[in-house]
Amino acid sequence: MSATYILFWFLSALAVVSALMVLFSKNPVHSVLWLIAVFFAISGHYILMNAQFLAIVNIIVYAGAIMVLFLFVIMLMNLNKETEPRKNIWMKLAGAIAAGSLLMILVSLVGQATELSHRNLLMKDGDIGLIKNLGKILFSQYVVPFEITSILFLSAMVGAVVIGKKD
Amino acid sequence: MQTNYFILMHHELIIAITIMLLLVIKVGSDKLSNQLVANVTNGLLLASLVLGFIVQPEGNVFGDMFHTDGFALLQKNILVAGTLIISLQASTWLKDYEHTAEFYILLLSTLLGMCFMISSRHFLMFYLSLELSTIPLAALANFDLHLKRSSEAALKLIISSAFSSGLMLLGISFLYGTTGTLSFGEVASAIQLNTPLQLFAFVLIFAGFGFKISAVPFHLWTADVYEGSPVAVTSYLSVISKGAVLFVFITVLFNVFALYAHSWYYLIVIVSLFTMVIGNLFALRQTNIKRFLAFSSISQVGFILIGLSGGTHTSAASVVYFIVVYIFSNLGAFGVIALVQGLTGKENINDYKGFYLNNKMLSWMLGIALFSLAGIPPVAGFFGKFFLLLSGAEKGAYWLIAIAAINMVISLYYYLNVVKNIFIDKSDTSIEKLPIAIQPRIAMIICVIGVVGSGLCGGLYQYIFDLVK
Repeated sequence: MSATYILFWFLSALAVVSALMVLFSKNPVHSVLWLIAVFFAISGHYILMNAQFLAIVNIIVYAGAIMVLFLFVIMLMNLNKETEPRKNIWMKLAGAIAAGSLLMILVSLVGQATELSHRNLLMKDGDIGLIKNLGKILFSQYVVPFEITSILFLSAMVGAVVIGKKD
Repeated sequence: MQTNYFILMHHELIIAITIMLLLVIKVGSDKLSNQLVANVTNGLLLASLVLGFIVQPEGNVFGDMFHTDGFALLQKNILVAGTLIISLQASTWLKDYEHTAEFYILLLSTLLGMCFMISSRHFLMFYLSLELSTIPLAALANFDLHLKRSSEAALKLIISSAFSSGLMLLGISFLYGTTGTLSFGEVASAIQLNTPLQLFAFVLIFAGFGFKISAVPFHLWTADVYEGSPVAVTSYLSVISKGAVLFVFITVLFNVFALYAHSWYYLIVIVSLFTMVIGNLFALRQTNIKRFLAFSSISQVGFILIGLSGGTHTSAASVVYFIVVYIFSNLGAFGVIALVQGLTGKENINDYKGFYLNNKMLSWMLGIALFSLAGIPPVAGFFGKFFLLLSGAEKGAYWLIAIAAINMVISLYYYLNVVKNIFIDKSDTSIEKLPIAIQPRIAMIICVIGVVGSGLCGGLYQYIFDLVK
């Protein structure tokens, strides 16, 4: 068993356990901290796939900026057990059944999906995640989606300013 | 020279230029005349519409990111025309509104997203333009800035659209995982029958679409969003946004998932049955006219899905034809409602009692629009529904057509109930005579001509049918 395999299993286990902890922690601040652990584990996976740029961006943007925002909001809202809305027992039951069936379907589908096995991660030569190649492809083949994203951000900003400025 | 690119993308370029122009004007001057902003936008939209009918290029640029042909151009023209009508109708509301420039920037961003969405032949491009056409809409839904229900509408819209995007993205990534490509054409040829994961991916993508067109298991917040948003945004949501998503849905169903036709047929039939019945039953009990039109638009989507279930060129043509008719009739109704709401603030069905007494022209307008929505013969709505049911019947499911016919009868009751309120019922507090400005008047005349004309002029359906091929 090579080092890559060991790393892969370690990171996968870390990601799954941290994701479960996000759900099961009673304190919302702890949930956010576990979520940061999930992001770090996923970044590790990116590095294993030789996508260093994506890994760094994932840490800076998600684990850094967005999670800090999450923490701020959660601390400002001062959530605790008393403010938690009480949910109907039937609603909980329906949610559990629906989510459980979805999980069952997903597991069985991925398990029997023969077309997924032996796929070499669709990485071609394995250097697609390097920043040079990413930049090249972003400004040639994917230039229209790139420009559309900028208009999307522009309009989102305009909308946010109008809504945020109301007196 | 690469002038070709500019000609191929002329709709998108004009809209993008308008957005930038409005942004520069807004940043550059303190005291901005709302009338000027509206006129500039309407002028450029009109130019785009005229150009769209004259210059009809075909081509495929940037890989599969942007593809255009006669059918796509027709769809874009329909959307631009609808947006122009809404913009004219909104002028009563926008006249004294403090954020007119921003309203247009956001509205045109969504229109740009829809145009790119119609032209996309790649899932990445499709997803991004879908986001561009929904996220600014959530901000627009909040544009009655001082109303709590408007904020509620925006929040519900953004949550439900984020959720549906999540489902759709999961489906797209399964599709990518199993086929190794995102381009529509390559996915279509790489899809194999009897791969459960691909079928599941289709179900997820279908659910995403279901949220956007508010088909029934996914409709829960639609009425709240429609009720809370400003009337102009409600009409945009119920007509233009739905129309654009349906246009893309045709491509995705008929081209990408053509191999799964036997599977999605049943899915669509079941969803359309629920959509018609539940939309109708809820519409019966509404007292607020915006909520009423929300549920009526849900049940209309049920009829559109019946047309889609045919899976042939005829059904694509009938759906596009119905959307043209639906845009004219629904915008006709919303135009009157926007005027009444803008001038008096009333939006209950009971407030319309005795409306005919003082407002003859508006009453006829609303009456014709509602007749068309109900599908009564002389107006276009009848022909729209007729073609939809005809193409749905091609697969031989006559029981489905029978249920649709029963639903049409039920819908007749609630549409005519509003008509009765307007024309027959008397009331001491009926609405005074409302002054109609020139822009809404033009919009109304266009709608009436559209509702009556698109039914009587049989060439229109043939024109669309020829373009589909």
